[in-house]
Amino acid sequence: MVTLEKIAHLASDCRFDSLGPDAQMDSEKLSMLGGGTRHDVCASTFSPRSPGLPGICHSFTQDGRCVSLFKTLYTNYCSHQCNYCTNAANCSQKTRAFTYTPQELAGITLSLYQGNYIEGLFLSSGSGRNEDVVMEKIVETARLLREKHAFAGYIHLKVLPGASRSHIQEAMELADRVSINLEASSPAHMNEMSATKNYETDIIQRQRYIRDLMSKTDRKASLPAGQTTQLVVGAGAESDMEIFKRILYEYREIGVKRAYYSAFSPQRGTPFESRAPQQKWREHRLYQMDWLYRIYHFQPQEIHHAFDENGFLGNADPKMAIARQSMDSPADPNVASYSELLRIPGIGPRSAQRIIALRKMHPIKGKTELAQMGVRIKRAAPFLKINGWRDSTLLMWSA
Amino acid sequence: MKVPDNFLYYLSAHADCNARLLARAKELTAQDLEVLPNADAKRLRKMVFEVLGETHRMKAFVRLKPLGGAILHGYLKPRHKIAERVCDHFARRNPRTIIVLGNGLESWISLFYEGRILCEHGAGLTETLEQLESVLRDFGMQGSNECEREAKEKDRKNEWKEGKDAESIWKAYYDSQYCPDRKNLRVFRQRMPRRDQESAGLRLLESKENVTLEDFF
Repeated sequence: MVTLEKIAHLASDCRFDSLGPDAQMDSEKLSMLGGGTRHDVCASTFSPRSPGLPGICHSFTQDGRCVSLFKTLYTNYCSHQCNYCTNAANCSQKTRAFTYTPQELAGITLSLYQGNYIEGLFLSSGSGRNEDVVMEKIVETARLLREKHAFAGYIHLKVLPGASRSHIQEAMELADRVSINLEASSPAHMNEMSATKNYETDIIQRQRYIRDLMSKTDRKASLPAGQTTQLVVGAGAESDMEIFKRILYEYREIGVKRAYYSAFSPQRGTPFESRAPQQKWREHRLYQMDWLYRIYHFQPQEIHHAFDENGFLGNADPKMAIARQSMDSPADPNVASYSELLRIPGIGPRSAQRIIALRKMHPIKGKTELAQMGVRIKRAAPFLKINGWRDSTLLMWSA
Repeated sequence: MKVPDNFLYYLSAHADCNARLLARAKELTAQDLEVLPNADAKRLRKMVFEVLGETHRMKAFVRLKPLGGAILHGYLKPRHKIAERVCDHFARRNPRTIIVLGNGLESWISLFYEGRILCEHGAGLTETLEQLESVLRDFGMQGSNECEREAKEKDRKNEWKEGKDAESIWKAYYDSQYCPDRKNLRVFRQRMPRRDQESAGLRLLESKENVTLEDFF
């Protein structure tokens, strides 16, 4: 059980902000700590627990991204030296340090949840002076919400790099989802980005803890929405192929639910300030690659067709590139299997399922029918053969 | 998303639905609606998804304000007949709290209590709220309404609510989440259609000073 003494004691242990223990709810703190998570992309609120939680986006910002959770840092004080981050210890233009208390966070979350502004809490944090102290506060916040206030909403907790196994377990028993950000695709790239994080022990090893705790049979740490991860793309020189290899490992060995990609944008005062920002389309192409593997179940060797000789994806649909290289002959929608249909550009899982359902009723006669079912004919036509007829091969290259 | 099995329910909630359309739809299954490539099926499918879409967005966009300890109320003026369903959703989300949604003309009241949904259809929102308050006051004096007593107790326990206005907290937080280098008003408008914002009484941005000429192209 949580006692008030314990909370008060912990709060005074971890007070980096200049406002003191009776900090008022000031909007500067809200926006500084809220802004600290702007680059964390995961906004999912779907949780298949019982009763399940729906995925609802309560609003969108002007950049078109969903705001469904109260997504914030516990503290923006951080002892890590990550070259891309404004909260890092080696950032020369750091803002004042702010810290919440678990009570404040629980209070804000509850009042926003009640007002139907959010589906729940997404709590991340700088590492503070000691990540164990901050992890304890993060767990404390979730426990206050779940046990004292019987909060039924969604909770996503970040696991800090290097967090202890026992803290991870506590977090997992309270949250719907936990995540730890990879940020880089390999130890070498991590060294380039951060002098203080050890890729293998601080990050990958913690992901394995989460995986192992999830598979334990007592089901206390069942984590209904699983674990996820995120990478910063374009801060270093890593290729998309390297990212893909890492992601394959994450899906197969760690069992992450999904990966998120965040295009690097240089922040003032950081060592990477003068590096060029990453074009946003790269994010989009990486997500398409991710989808082809995770949703469309393409084989990795097929996806390799989408990379150029340097291991990068171009700014074009990777599925089209794969189809051009691997589809030797056009497919007939009247006989092609589900997985063959999925490999045709312009046909997605839903239209593929519709085609299969419709052809059981009567044979598909032409392109118009396909268009009615949501197939994007312009893209699909060169790869289709309907009743022996097909568009010319030339079209395949101009699509 | 697939056409749900109970699509007739959603179809009948559509503002443009009529008996003839419904009779035609009754001859079809959800699977037919999902795959048939004719204009008729396409139209019915579209109508079902319009209702589903509005229901989903009202669950997302309607904001609730507390009134006393027992009531949460919000503005709702949907195009389709979905208000009751939305109201029930909020009642389940806030058990033992009276949910009142409505506009100047009509209102919907729901309460989820001991596993049951109690619902009511009333006159304009302000009128309903006044009525409810006075009823609750009477009950409170007699001390006979268990539900209200519990709600009051709940309110006392929630010290966190005092002096913290959710709307202003939200504003500060919402503004902090925006990445200017990713500005994309086209997607914003697509995800938060003005029409649905209006139905939920929401007014997010569209403040003209944030919009440049570029945004229109």
